[in-house]
Amino acid sequence: MKVTLVSRSGREFINGGLELPDSATVADLQEAIYKRTKKFYPSRQRLTLPVPPGSKERPVVLNYKKSLKDYSDEKQNKLTVVFKDLGPQVSYSTLFFFEYLGPLILYPIFYYFPVYKFFGYGEDRVIHPVQTYAVYYWCFHYLKRITETFFVHRFSHATSPFSNVFRNCAYYWLFGSYIAYYVNHPLYTPVGDLQMKIGFGFGLVCQLSNLYCHIILKNLRNPDGSGGYQIPHGFLFNIVTCANYTTEIYQWLGFNIATQTVAGYVFLVVATSIMTNWALAKHRRLKKLFDGNEGRPKYPRRWVILPPFL
Amino acid sequence: MASALTVLRRLYLSIYNWLVFIGWFQVLFLALKALKESGHEHVYNAVEKPLLLAQSAAVMEILHGLIGLVRSPVSSTLPQIGSRLYLTWGILWSFPEIRTHILVTSLVISWAITEIIRYSFFGMKEAFGFAPSWHLWLSTFLVLYPTGISSEVGLIYFALPYIKASEKYCFRMPNKWNFSFDYFYAAILALGIYVPGSPHLYHYMLGQRKRALSKSKKE
Repeated sequence: MKVTLVSRSGREFINGGLELPDSATVADLQEAIYKRTKKFYPSRQRLTLPVPPGSKERPVVLNYKKSLKDYSDEKQNKLTVVFKDLGPQVSYSTLFFFEYLGPLILYPIFYYFPVYKFFGYGEDRVIHPVQTYAVYYWCFHYLKRITETFFVHRFSHATSPFSNVFRNCAYYWLFGSYIAYYVNHPLYTPVGDLQMKIGFGFGLVCQLSNLYCHIILKNLRNPDGSGGYQIPHGFLFNIVTCANYTTEIYQWLGFNIATQTVAGYVFLVVATSIMTNWALAKHRRLKKLFDGNEGRPKYPRRWVILPPFL
Repeated sequence: MASALTVLRRLYLSIYNWLVFIGWFQVLFLALKALKESGHEHVYNAVEKPLLLAQSAAVMEILHGLIGLVRSPVSSTLPQIGSRLYLTWGILWSFPEIRTHILVTSLVISWAITEIIRYSFFGMKEAFGFAPSWHLWLSTFLVLYPTGISSEVGLIYFALPYIKASEKYCFRMPNKWNFSFDYFYAAILALGIYVPGSPHLYHYMLGQRKRALSKSKKE
């Protein structure tokens, strides 16, 4: 089969195109492109079917598992594919590992080492019990996240643009340091004992619920990654679409109730708004996909992310 | 299309733009007069009133953008006005020791010329429906942005010792919300933002200029 490769402007991307066996898959095509160009490894390639000019339709993205025959012109046995370079990519596991490693290492530095003398404070320091519980809670959280990255999550895309490494690490590392500075400060004022217990207790319950939500999400997807969206169900997903975000947000709320810093609450607000954006998009996507037509189930009425608000 | 609302809008915006124009014209006039008669140390005192007024009035422009009275996106007007108000109130007005610095003169003159051009342009558009040679005026930013931004950065930098010594606008621990704010470190952070922010803004203006120039070539 002859495959013609064009860029989005219409120019031929590989002169003369590529010749592939009729039974080849999209993955084979990706390999052939990589071998020929030497620069564009498969995860950098975005291959789509051409869209007629002026059409408002979103282009069909080629699925790497499908065979080229599923997309080609049957009679003429050829295929034209539009190529886009997604730029250098990094695997999600690598990205997540480094963005979570920062808070895991930076926060305990403020707890264990006399860093505050560099800010002009003396070396004397009283450590309140809440500060100790906080460092355990915080580290448990990020260890959990790293573990989930390697053993639980199933990623729909294997990679993310490399530039996200800087953006994401800045977000986690800076906020982590910002919160750590205040919670472990020599002039830190702890809240009452009951408030602290309620905060950490509630937070822990939410963290464990969050873990369970992640396990449910993992089992929604087929083991071979053939993916596709499913209606999430079970546990909290029966009443809220993005129960994983819900538990994550409430978990941070628990931490803040126990530690009470403006820095922590600022982080909570920012994280909540980011997750809410994601949740709205996901909820919308699922409702659009599961519209009840043509035998598809209809997406049930549910909270989006934060009962009882949204 | 002379609906009553359109007429009202144009009337309001014409008055707004010309009023602020007059304010900045005063600033430039008084600055040059003081520079000639008394020297750069006295420029701030001469321009203080119209400067504070004209610069603070710019807050209205955020409102105009929010309610849709003008088309400018809030995302670009907010940082620009923010940095202006920070310099005007947060540095010059708050720390008198910096007012005699020579960079105040370059700052005030750069700002005034830029704003005179901008407000007269928009004033003419709203009042008369047209204005001449926007793309030519846009070219003045090629000089005024570097001089203005250098003056802003320089003034913040030279004001740092006064900021640290005065402890103004600082909120200290301990307190029950475990919060603190240090205006000195905030000023250093502001300086840091200028590093990526200025080339970004300059690049954006270069793009605007290129677009305006190519548009007028086509006409």
